[in-house]
Amino acid sequence: MSVFPLLAEGFESALMACSLILLVPGAAVGLTARAAAIPAIASFAIGVLGLSWLRFSERGGDFSPLVIAVALMAATILLLVPLISRLDVAAVPAGLLAGGAAAELWRPCVGAEFGQLLNELPDRGLSGLGLLAIYLVGTLSPLIVLAALHHLVPDRILEKLEPAWSVVGGTALALLSLATALGFHDELVGKLFEWSVAV
Amino acid sequence: MFMTGATPATGWARSLGGSTGAGSGVEMIGEPMSRSQFLAALIVVGALGALVVARVQSGAEAGAGSDQEAAAEAASEPKPITGGEQAAVGATPPAPQTTTLVVAEPPPILEDKPALTDLDGWLQTEATSLDDFSGQVRIVEFWTFGCFNCKNRLPYTQEIYRRWQPEGLEIIAVHAPEFDYEKDPEAVAAAAADLGVVWPIALDTNKTNFRAWQGSRRFWPRTYVLDQEGRVRYDHIGEGDYDGLETTVAQLITNGP
Repeated sequence: MSVFPLLAEGFESALMACSLILLVPGAAVGLTARAAAIPAIASFAIGVLGLSWLRFSERGGDFSPLVIAVALMAATILLLVPLISRLDVAAVPAGLLAGGAAAELWRPCVGAEFGQLLNELPDRGLSGLGLLAIYLVGTLSPLIVLAALHHLVPDRILEKLEPAWSVVGGTALALLSLATALGFHDELVGKLFEWSVAV
Repeated sequence: MFMTGATPATGWARSLGGSTGAGSGVEMIGEPMSRSQFLAALIVVGALGALVVARVQSGAEAGAGSDQEAAAEAASEPKPITGGEQAAVGATPPAPQTTTLVVAEPPPILEDKPALTDLDGWLQTEATSLDDFSGQVRIVEFWTFGCFNCKNRLPYTQEIYRRWQPEGLEIIAVHAPEFDYEKDPEAVAAAAADLGVVWPIALDTNKTNFRAWQGSRRFWPRTYVLDQEGRVRYDHIGEGDYDGLETTVAQLITNGP
């Protein structure tokens, strides 16, 4: 299968509502992690990749909503609880947990290229993981932009914005966790979809 | 409430525990990464990424080549199937993908699927069960009307339906709604009319069959072909492989199960 069309389809999927369930918690993790946005988002992407690969290749990773909610809540706590002052340390496990949880909730748009990959994934070894990573580079590209922006924004502006970003990101993560625990994640994802279509 | 453990400084350097300059109060190793260094690192990472992509690309193409050779070897008794006019339904039907399909070995027999149960009803048919279509080749497609990729499949499916329905093909669209607004049967009927879905629709509102058929790998759209005896002979996730779908249908209708 061809790599560049797969990458292109990944970029295309980033603009679709079905990717919001990855992009919203990913952005929330990045914003809440503040100065540690880059390692947090990188860890989030690795979490998404790992769990998606396990799920889609039938190697495991089909967790209950309660486990997913606990993972999201743990990520939120790691990033927000004042006792854990080392965000540079907390960002990696928090990103991994949130990424894995988001991958569990993800119901991807399946175009021709990604469809071909999904059809072959159970029979592919690590090449399947590599191809999935290439697709996700496209899908998660808004998060890469977010991480880069965080670095490129002048410090004096960052200082003013970061506290508000943390509140927004932390609240989004906590709400997603709560909705998942209560079994309303489908409705929440649906609302995200409807809002994005309306916008 | 929120603590970063460092005063504001250059983003990445802070995130990696770099020094934040005088007055940070924290002894750390290394100097902060400047923006030019960051951009240089970004370019290096991008170049490495491109190399990896190129490497995987060459590997994937080599694999695809061997697949094609294997398929060519497996093909026997080529059987031409003539394409025809454009689809009768659908706003902008695609040109037929091929005018000649090579029929090789009979399609494999895949894992059995359960009967459709716990349905919320049927639309556009008198049927009440999948068994009502037994003896026919059936395309069973899991879809939902809000799904972008499901809509993209429609012109191709409509073309296949136009060609093969007179020969005995039936399509059963199992509507498994993803979101609340897709659950209303009237909305499904309206969308079907709007999209040119003219075949029977089974309403799987609770997604019972969506889960039972697809197991842990559940996607929209997913397409199966059942032969005249109800055995699964084709399974495809997502868009694409329209030639493969039509070849399977043609094979089963022409040569039997």
